[in-house]
Amino acid sequence: MARPAVILVGADKGGVGKTTVARTLIDYFGAHQTPTRAFDTEWPRGTLKRFHPDLTEVVDVTSVSDQMKIFDTLGSAEAKVTVIDVRAGLLSSTLQALTDIGFLESAKKGQITFAVFHILGPSIASLEEIAETARVMGDANYFLVKNFINNTTFFEWDPATYNSYFKRIKGAEEITIPKLNEMAYEQVEVASVPFVSFVGNKGAKGEAANYSFVLRGYVRHWLGNVWGEFDRVKLVDLVAPKMESNVRQVAG
Amino acid sequence: MSLRSSITIVASPRPRVGKTLLARLLANFHLQQDRSVAAFDLNAGERTLAQFLPEKTTVATIRDINGQMALFDRLVADEDTTKVIDLGHDSFELFFSVTHQIGFVEEARRRSVAVAILFIVTPDHTSIEAYRSLRARFARAALAPVHNEILGPAQHRDKYPLVGGGPGLVRLPVLAPGLRRYIETPPFSFAESNMAAANIPLAAHIELQRWLRRIYLEFRELDLRILLADLQASIRLNS
Repeated sequence: MARPAVILVGADKGGVGKTTVARTLIDYFGAHQTPTRAFDTEWPRGTLKRFHPDLTEVVDVTSVSDQMKIFDTLGSAEAKVTVIDVRAGLLSSTLQALTDIGFLESAKKGQITFAVFHILGPSIASLEEIAETARVMGDANYFLVKNFINNTTFFEWDPATYNSYFKRIKGAEEITIPKLNEMAYEQVEVASVPFVSFVGNKGAKGEAANYSFVLRGYVRHWLGNVWGEFDRVKLVDLVAPKMESNVRQVAG
Repeated sequence: MSLRSSITIVASPRPRVGKTLLARLLANFHLQQDRSVAAFDLNAGERTLAQFLPEKTTVATIRDINGQMALFDRLVADEDTTKVIDLGHDSFELFFSVTHQIGFVEEARRRSVAVAILFIVTPDHTSIEAYRSLRARFARAALAPVHNEILGPAQHRDKYPLVGGGPGLVRLPVLAPGLRRYIETPPFSFAESNMAAANIPLAAHIELQRWLRRIYLEFRELDLRILLADLQASIRLNS
């Protein structure tokens, strides 16, 4: 059996599109037939759960019992990939907690695949966060996500400053989430369904829906670009190397 | 697969090359074939098509997302209506960029609707490039160069290569001098009933009909070529 993979999606600020990225990841693994479960730490509300109710559980990541729920089940859970949407401001402390329970140690030994998606916000505070998480992270798979979905203006940053932080994490890779038309984004929000369901004109229970063809087209195009980024950083190889090689064998 | 209807886009990145006239002729051709027809006028502010075909024309804009939804959502719905789009030169880029992004041609094909682009050829570099780009982006649309003969001899024809297995060149012949004033004054309609009722001298009427017949012959051939290409494609798929 492939070793379990844990993906943390976090940011130090709210409103940078963390949950959106988590949703694209869940859709991506779904499209690759990789069983996935998700934890939403926006306890007790849970935005992620609204979009993916069947595979999402809302947890309080600071409580020991919930930590057990997540990490003690890694080996036994049916899902190979665990996506954790970390609430704003909790990324550093979550990573610290993971160090404390020895999780990062197991990741280093290769018993668990561990990746962090760090969603960057538009302010310099985000960059300081990179420096801080770099300290804890060691050589985990680290992805810096520039999220343009709502057209945030990142490049007010001084590139030199940005690079100096960026280089502190060995092997960190950049991912760019392109802009999505506002109305298309809003309509998916209103529909409260996964992006793939919206594209396929389906409701929350798989029933036929009646979304605008234009908006579905925009979402399809956008999601294709996002997945293209995930393909580029070889995300499937990372979380499910065995399955991928099987696929290659079957394909001859 | 059999086609239920077609969506034809009359296009050129240049102004004043005869797009609206071609769209009018095409809409009338389909009406004459007893098809249900909807025309869309995408010319900023001019509304020429709407003046000539008021009952069939929707004035549309794609500048904002609401306009795009109003237009494209209607274009893919109601598969049994034949649609003609008079695409103004200033909407050319945006229209095809949206069309490409949202996968419009593929969606239409999925609904058994053919998409054709009638591209009026001119010798300028912009148009040649635009044509080349359409060929590359819309493999599943029938792209037909149109030679509007009033624009002069087409020595630049080789710059507009035909798509293999696709439609051929469509010719829009010149109307005899002196007749243009009849057809260019709204609300003139090419429908036979209108032409008979309008105060057009008999000789002019006959000449107009002769001209129309030549054009309709071109359109009929275009229709057949699109059907044939579709048939060939489905044979390839099934084998």
